[in-house]
Amino acid sequence: MNRKIQRSLAVVSAAALVFGVASASTAQAAAKVLYIAYQGPLSGGEASTGIDEQNAVKYAVKLFNAKNKGKFNVKVVSVDDQGDPAVASTVAPGIGSNKNVLGVVGPAYSGATIASLPYYKAGGLVLISPSATRVSLTDPTSPDFGGPVFHRVVGKDDLQGPALAKYATKGVSNAKVFVFDDQSAYAVPLRGYVEAGLTKVAGASLVGGDSVPNTATDYSPTIAKIATSGATVVIYTGYYSAAAIFIKQLRDSGSKAIFAGGDGVFNQEFPKLAGTAAEGSRITGVGGLAGISPKLEADFKKQMGVSSGVYSVESYDAANILLEGIKKGNTTRAKMLKWVKAYKGKSVSGNTIKFDANGDISYGLFAGFTSKGGVLVNTGIVK
Amino acid sequence: MFVVLIDQFWSLTIAGLALGFIYVLISLGYTMVYGVLRMINFANSEIFMWGTFGTVITNRDLYNYTQTSEPATGWKLALVLITALLMSMFIAGLTAVFVEFVAYRRLRMKGTNRLATLISAIGISIVLQEVMRLLTDSRPVGSPRVLEKIILAEVWGANLRLDTIITIIAAAVIFFILERFIKLSRMGKAIRAVSQNEDAAKLMGVNLNRVITTTFLVGGLATGAAAFFYTTVFEYTKFNIGFTMGLAAFTAAVLGGIGNIRGAFYGGISLGLLEVYASAVLGTQWKAVTVFVVLVLVLLFKPNGLFGEAVQQTRA
Repeated sequence: MNRKIQRSLAVVSAAALVFGVASASTAQAAAKVLYIAYQGPLSGGEASTGIDEQNAVKYAVKLFNAKNKGKFNVKVVSVDDQGDPAVASTVAPGIGSNKNVLGVVGPAYSGATIASLPYYKAGGLVLISPSATRVSLTDPTSPDFGGPVFHRVVGKDDLQGPALAKYATKGVSNAKVFVFDDQSAYAVPLRGYVEAGLTKVAGASLVGGDSVPNTATDYSPTIAKIATSGATVVIYTGYYSAAAIFIKQLRDSGSKAIFAGGDGVFNQEFPKLAGTAAEGSRITGVGGLAGISPKLEADFKKQMGVSSGVYSVESYDAANILLEGIKKGNTTRAKMLKWVKAYKGKSVSGNTIKFDANGDISYGLFAGFTSKGGVLVNTGIVK
Repeated sequence: MFVVLIDQFWSLTIAGLALGFIYVLISLGYTMVYGVLRMINFANSEIFMWGTFGTVITNRDLYNYTQTSEPATGWKLALVLITALLMSMFIAGLTAVFVEFVAYRRLRMKGTNRLATLISAIGISIVLQEVMRLLTDSRPVGSPRVLEKIILAEVWGANLRLDTIITIIAAAVIFFILERFIKLSRMGKAIRAVSQNEDAAKLMGVNLNRVITTTFLVGGLATGAAAFFYTTVFEYTKFNIGFTMGLAAFTAAVLGGIGNIRGAFYGGISLGLLEVYASAVLGTQWKAVTVFVVLVLVLLFKPNGLFGEAVQQTRA
């Protein structure tokens, strides 16, 4: 019921967007106005992720427009899919068929990406996602395969899983690990990759697991299992709000096991919600501009009025690939797609961005974060 | 498979009981309204959700506790807890009366059929949820820790924690008071009279509107108390938590025999225990399956729920 209302609202806003773009382009036909889109959750429960990403895209565009004054005026079209596949499938058709949009940074989430893909494939619209990490998106044997339009500048979950396993067990001798997921399409595969990664960590052993729906608030059965298993490390592959509820209950039960989570838990709201129980938690996430270039971060804050947030490096990189393409005169969708496919350049992180045939980059940057004094502190890239 | 259950039996049982008592109080909201109106109050889950914010507001805004502040002790602790309980009950009770007024009363007076009321109840529950979603920016809200979760004692390897013990005892007391109210008070008798035969009750001079409003109010108060315990134990709420808890409590009400207060009690407790035991033995992914398989089995043999027969004689 609720979903349906959201969906119809999304349709309305998508329609408004498309018409807005059309009218804007006729009004300023004389100036060279070009459009790229950002797609991700800009409202709803996941909005903070999308807003952070979109800010990084807008920042890249702002720098580009200032540098190319008089030549190009690039505008960002906001596509709000709420991170929800059902909403995505209603907003994607409008963008897919709006030929003014040359490329998309996004979609932010894997599920929403899968729901949007048919429309973007039909429209030949190139996508560069900063944060859709599901492995199947770039697996040509999977029905979710996003080729040829889908690309991403973020490491896949099969790279994150081992990184998380490594970071969670760092400095723990003979780690006994308990891994559980939240039954979501993100968490279940990630749990598999974590478990696979654990086999390569010397001395670590998997002692148990569970699968708890993310609507649960009572984790006592899981905590009972953890107690019985004698685990010294507990890894959760779900999202931050559930992680915050869980960690409080785990600490209240008297357990001192290390708690670790993946990029789903990677959110500054996590230590805020969990309070002191979150202290010392180990979370893998993406570094952010601040971790890579304090100078760039300072400028970001000056230009945008806010600090950069999650996936800012990835979103900034993705936007820059499209912007460079525009500068090189790739102002049709077909040319832009070809440009991205052949792209070779440097990420702001210093790595080389080059997409393989399936749209993946060759590196995965996962930084380890520790919760300290109510904030997640970057401890550097997990190696 | 049963290792965890055997190893952690008493921990699980205590957790299940605490959860069960929360279910008992919420299911009162369903069962009482059903007893009187023969209709499911679909908005009860959102009444619960609104109630949780009563505790959050008390702890966070009224007494200025934060996520990092020290928990309260002594008289201050009692004061804060009682204020939070009353605040949650007040908000939930008010919401329940509001729901009755907006979604039920006018339609009932016009003599519309039950489906119309069903839809208006679903409508108001969506409104309540969406309003809270907008107010909280769709974000989860943490409730600051006021009650330190001290481990009082260890019994057979299980920790007796202050918050769970308070929940179990206080919820039992509140349930008992409400049950006595319905059994013994004049208003309670009127409620039972209406649930047995509406027309006869009216002819005896029972003010139907007042009875129905009171029923919603009492159901709302119980649900609000549940919301307080829930927020105190889990220290968390969100605009959409009503659905899961509401569904569980409704299941408990049906399991025990809807319309029957004793049924709500036993239904809630059994459900709480069943959920934790099933999660421990089969894995949490089987919790919902187990619960509903048991529900279907119970209904197959006792179509009116565990206390189905009693419904006929001592309704409400």
